[in-house]
Amino acid sequence: MTEARIHDRGYLAYDGPRHGPGRAMVVLGYHTVQRVLGLKRSNWQKVMPAIALLVAFVPAIVFIGLAALLPASSDLDLGDPAGYYVPISFVLFLFTSFVTPEALCTDRSSGMLGLYLASPLNRDTYLASKFVAVIAVLGIMTIGPTLLMLIAFTLDGSGPDGALDWLIEFGRVLGAGLAMAAFWGSLALAVSSLSPRRTLASVAIFVSLLVSAAVGDGLSQGAELGDSFALLNMIALPIETVYRIYGEVNPDGPPIRHVETLPILFTFLGLIVVFGWFARWRYQRIEVTG
Amino acid sequence: MSDIVISARGVQKSYGSNHVLQGLDCDVGRGITGLLGPNGAGKSTFMGLVLGLRPRQGGELNVLGVDPEQSGPELRAKLGYAPEHHDLPGDVQAADLVRHIAQLHGLPRRAATERASDALWQVGLGEERFRPVGTMSTGQRQRVKMAQALAHDPDLLLLDEPTDGLDPVQRDDMLALIRRVGREFGIDILLSSHLLEEVERVCDSVVILANGAVGHSGALDGLGSAATGLKVELDSDPQPLAAALAAQGAEAVIDGHIITVTGHDAAADLIRDLVADLGLGLRRLEPRRTTLEDVFIEASR
Repeated sequence: MTEARIHDRGYLAYDGPRHGPGRAMVVLGYHTVQRVLGLKRSNWQKVMPAIALLVAFVPAIVFIGLAALLPASSDLDLGDPAGYYVPISFVLFLFTSFVTPEALCTDRSSGMLGLYLASPLNRDTYLASKFVAVIAVLGIMTIGPTLLMLIAFTLDGSGPDGALDWLIEFGRVLGAGLAMAAFWGSLALAVSSLSPRRTLASVAIFVSLLVSAAVGDGLSQGAELGDSFALLNMIALPIETVYRIYGEVNPDGPPIRHVETLPILFTFLGLIVVFGWFARWRYQRIEVTG
Repeated sequence: MSDIVISARGVQKSYGSNHVLQGLDCDVGRGITGLLGPNGAGKSTFMGLVLGLRPRQGGELNVLGVDPEQSGPELRAKLGYAPEHHDLPGDVQAADLVRHIAQLHGLPRRAATERASDALWQVGLGEERFRPVGTMSTGQRQRVKMAQALAHDPDLLLLDEPTDGLDPVQRDDMLALIRRVGREFGIDILLSSHLLEEVERVCDSVVILANGAVGHSGALDGLGSAATGLKVELDSDPQPLAAALAAQGAEAVIDGHIITVTGHDAAADLIRDLVADLGLGLRRLEPRRTTLEDVFIEASR
């Protein structure tokens, strides 16, 4: 009896189900999250995201541990929730500068942008996927720890009183976290849209944030031109915005704490729109064929 | 399916004051079509319009029955595109890259995984499919680009300079693969190139772009059948014969030892008599066939 083997099945046409552009956005977004977090990449690429997540979550875990270990009668000050975003902002500052450019720059330097735009994605859906993916990654750091604390304190009996208070607090956690992630994410995309070189984008984000802080505080406090100039400080602006979402003012913050809530929110949202518009404007002009 | 895959009527595209396409008219039929043209002729711009990546300033463009500008995402789901550049993300395995692109074109994950593997086998990278693209040679990367363009089973494949950067052996392999995709897989192909020889080898028809418009378009079959003049090769200096032919009213162009003679109804008899009269040694006398190069040069003027 002879053995029959198939060596070449030939080319097979595909007549199975096909998803639409919406699914392509999900696929790209998921892929981007993996890239930014260093998943399926070398160990070296995982170091920075891992450190950032660790630094973001450790204080929350310490708070929860103290609350669980110490007796309920002790005068443990769990701190104000808005204050938690100050250390998180430092992590976001570094993460946004040195990791998030991976979301956009690599696609241009590796030629993947041309392949993406030759798929059912277009420039707008491509950018939208990237924006959502970056917000999702940043959201792990901006929402994760505070949400973890809220749940832990609630289970411990030291959380907000009553369902309504709990829902309000939950809304603040989500709102503040999303707002902060959206700000840093849109800033990262806007600056990253300027160059296909990741290192250049990282330096540009890092420097622009430091310069904005120096200029904002310098003009408002040093030159005494008025508190409104403190709105130029793009490091302090999202922190102060979070404080206002919690109905508070950063007690130890930079001069921006003297500005009214409405101008802060208006500037905050305005900058997100401007950053998003700028990234879109840039991507409408990028040639991908040839 | 219609016999016309791409139909362009009066297509215009400008970048500022640079009018790249100025009223381009052509029909691209089924099979393998070569898109030829010198650098700057508008080949990549035309590819971009076919993919629906750019708005045009005027004219009508129909690809697989739809306007790319109006139905870009739906159309691109049916297109496969292999760009000219060799850059691909170096730290991604070939199989992951091809699967990812197949998923973007709408295939469910499991189907995309299977077809990515199949496509890499079809292009000859079956054993190499789990290697990071960054460790692959230029020839292998060209094959990865082909595989990612094929995996979702497109109706039309757009290949932009697919042999760029390949050595002669790799180039032959790639052309054989393109021919196989067009003939055996039944996928229509638009092949952008500036190399006449490879278009002649694999294509059924050709569209030649020149100065922002179509200089020539048509099947390659008919090119060689029409004789336009005669070619004469002598074993000595062709100058005396060329001068004698010119004196008799024929057009004679010298290229080395060969004279191309046109513009005389009885050129063969005339050449025979003049060669005998001048005592020259005649090596070859044959009809001059129109080559793709002739057409290209004529179209590019």
